[in-house]
Amino acid sequence: MTTDLHQEHIDNSAKALIKADNLIAGYFPGVPILNGSDLYANEGELIGIIGPNGAGKSTLLKALFGLVKVWSGEVTLRGENITNMRADELVTRSIGFVPQNNNVFPSLTIEENLEMGCYQDPSKFVDSFERVSSLFPALKDRRKQKAGSLSGGERQMVAMGRALMMNPSVILLDEPSAGLSPALQDEVFIRVKDINKTGVTVIIVEQNAARCLQIVDRGYVLDQGQNAYTGTGRSLANDPKVIELYLGTLAKS
Amino acid sequence: MIRVFQIRRILKSVLLSTIFAIYIGSGASALDGPGISGKISDPDGKPLAGVAITLANNENTIQGLTDATGAFELAAPSAGKYTVSIDVATLPAGLTIAEPGPEREITFVQGPKVLIFKTQVGTSADQVAVKRDSKIPQLVVDGLLFGLTIALGAMGLNLIFGTTGLTNFSHGELLTYGAFTAWTLNYLVGLNMLIAVPLSLVISAFLWGWAQNRYLWKPLRRRGTGLMAMMIVSIGLALTLRYSALAIFGGSPRNYNQYAAQAGLDIFGVAITPKALIMAIIAIITLAIVLFWLKNSKIGKATRAVRDNPDLASATGINVEKVISYVWTLGGFLAALAGITVGINQDVSWRMGQILLLIMFASVTLGGLGTIYGALVGAITIGVLIQLSTLVLPTELKTVSALFVMIAILLFRPQGILGKRERVG
Ligand SMILES: Nc1ncnc2c1ncn2[C@@H]1O[C@H](COP(=O)(O)OP(=O)(O)OP(=O)(O)O)[C@@H](O)[C@H]1O
Ligand SMILES: [Mg+2]
Repeated sequence: MTTDLHQEHIDNSAKALIKADNLIAGYFPGVPILNGSDLYANEGELIGIIGPNGAGKSTLLKALFGLVKVWSGEVTLRGENITNMRADELVTRSIGFVPQNNNVFPSLTIEENLEMGCYQDPSKFVDSFERVSSLFPALKDRRKQKAGSLSGGERQMVAMGRALMMNPSVILLDEPSAGLSPALQDEVFIRVKDINKTGVTVIIVEQNAARCLQIVDRGYVLDQGQNAYTGTGRSLANDPKVIELYLGTLAKS
Repeated sequence: MIRVFQIRRILKSVLLSTIFAIYIGSGASALDGPGISGKISDPDGKPLAGVAITLANNENTIQGLTDATGAFELAAPSAGKYTVSIDVATLPAGLTIAEPGPEREITFVQGPKVLIFKTQVGTSADQVAVKRDSKIPQLVVDGLLFGLTIALGAMGLNLIFGTTGLTNFSHGELLTYGAFTAWTLNYLVGLNMLIAVPLSLVISAFLWGWAQNRYLWKPLRRRGTGLMAMMIVSIGLALTLRYSALAIFGGSPRNYNQYAAQAGLDIFGVAITPKALIMAIIAIITLAIVLFWLKNSKIGKATRAVRDNPDLASATGINVEKVISYVWTLGGFLAALAGITVGINQDVSWRMGQILLLIMFASVTLGGLGTIYGALVGAITIGVLIQLSTLVLPTELKTVSALFVMIAILLFRPQGILGKRERVG
C-alpha cells in the first residue's frame, strides 16, 4: 500500500512547486523519525498534514525547511534540489516557516519580530507591514509591546505575520491553532484560507484534523513517519478508515 | 530567558574556575623554610637597589637590602606572625609604596612567601591622608572604575553565551592577549600608545575574536558538538593560551612604555589617576555605543533574536553563523579594551585574564544572563562590592567575594537583577 502511494506521488508530483521524495530523517543516528515520507504541493495549493501525536508531522516540516538533517531522499523547490539547505537560504528562496512552539522572539517587540521577518530585505518592511497588519489588525496598535508578554493566539498571529513579511511563495505552518479557543481556532483557519487566496502555497500541520480537512485542497495522513493515506480533503474526511483511526469521535460529532 | 540548565551550567563553571584559580595560584621561591622574597622596582620597571626591608616579630628582627636587580630575600628563624616593613626613606625621592602600603602583616605556616611591593609616584604622607579621610568614597570610585572595565569583558562573555550557549572559560585570555598585543606593539615595536591601542583593538577583534570563532568554534558547532564538550575545550584552550603567554612573555608583570606612573588627582578627597579617568570615559562611550547598536541596528536586533532562539532566527532568514561571527569579533574587541585598561592602570600579566574570569562570570550572573544591560549592571555592582569587601575582608580575598555574591544570586534571584521570568505558553 505504501509503495502504491509512493508510485502515485511520483506520477502526480512532476509539476509540483515543492516536493519531498522518500525522506528519511531523524534527530539521533540510528533512530529515524521519517521513514520514507513523500509530499508535494502545487502552486497555490493548500495542503494539510494530519496524524497522531509523535507521527513525525513537525519533523517533516523541519526536514523540508533544513532544520532537521535529511539522511536520504530529496527535497526540491521548482526542480532545484534544496535538501539540507540552511533555513535562512530557504527564506531567500521564498519559503516561510512557522514552528509549532517558541515561534516568536520573546525579548523583541512585535514590530521588531516583524522586522526580523524581512531581515534579508528591510526595504520591504513598510509595504509588508501594511499587508500583514491588514490580515492581523490587532498587531498594528501593539507594535511596541514585547512579544514575550503576548497570549498564545497573539503570538500565533505575530509568528504568521513574520513568516509572511518576505512575501513567500510557500509557507509551512505547524499547528497554528494549537492551544487556542474554538472561536480563535476558526479565526486562524479563516486567516490561513485568506493567506492561501492571495496566491501563497500553504502546507499546514493540524491537530484539529476534521477542521483542517474541511479547508485543504489535499491532505496527507502521516503515521510513524510514513504516509498512511492521501487524497483530497473531502475524500479523506469521508474515508471510513481515516475516520476510525484518526478523526475519532471529533469527526462523528 | 533563564533556563534551569543554564544556571546549573554556570554554577558548575564557577566552581570549576575557582578550583583552577586555587590550584594554579601557588607560586615558587628560592627559600625553603619560612621567609620572604620579592623584587622592588620603580614604576617604569627599573630595579631599585639598596632599599631597606625589615622582617620582625616580638623576638626577632631581620634586616636586609635589595640587591642590584632589586631583589630581596630574608629568611625567618621560625614560623609564625611577622611584620614586614620597607623603609620609605631608602626609596628614591618622590617614590612611595603603593597600596596596601609599606607595612604588611604576614603569617608563615610552613614555606616562604613572595611579597610584591609596588612603587608609585607620590609621598607616603598624602597616601595615608587620603586613605584615612575617605576610605569609602575612594573604594566606591575604585569599584566603579573597575566595574566599567569588567563590564567590557562581561558584555562579550554574555553575548557569546547568549548566541551560542558556550560558557567560555577562555574569555579571560581574550583580555590577556588583547593586553599583550598592545604591549608588543608599544613596548617591543615601540609604537606610541595612541597608535598601539587602536591597532591592537582591531588586531584582537579579528585575530583573537573573529579567527578563534572561525577556526575553532564554528567547525565544532557544525559538527554538532555538545555544549558541555565545548565548555571543556574552552577550559583546555584557556590553559593553553595562559601558559603560552607565560612562555612567550615571562612571568613578571609588564608595564606599557607610557603612562605607567602617574600622580593621582585629588577630586573631593578621592584619588584618581588621569589615565584611569580617561580609560573610564572610553569604556563608558564604548559601552553606550554597543548598547545602542544592540538595541537599534539591524544586526543588533538579529543578535537579540539569535539569543532568544537560534533555530527560529534561522527560519526567519537570519544567517545565524554570520551573527555569531559579529558577536565574536565584538567580544574580542571589548575584551582587548578591558585587558588594555587593566594593563594601563595596573600591569599586564599572563594571569590577569584568569583572575578576572570569575568576576566576569559573577557579573553576568548577577545582572541577568542574556539581558542586554545585565552585564553592565552586574559588573558595576560587583566592582563596587569587591572594593567595599576590603573593608572587612583581607585584600587577598577580595575576588572571592564575587563568588559569594554569585552563589547568593543563584539561590535567591536566579534570573539576575534585570532578568524577567519568561511567560510560559
Ligand atoms: N528535537 C527533538 N529531538 C529528539 N527527538 C525529537 C525532537 N523532536 C521530536 N522528536 C521525536 O520525534 C518524534 C516525532 O516528533 P514530531 O514532533 O515530529 O511529532 P508530531 O507528529 O509533530 O507530534 P505532535 O502532534 O505531538 O506535534 C517523536 O517521537 C519525538 O519524540
Ligand atoms: Mg508537532
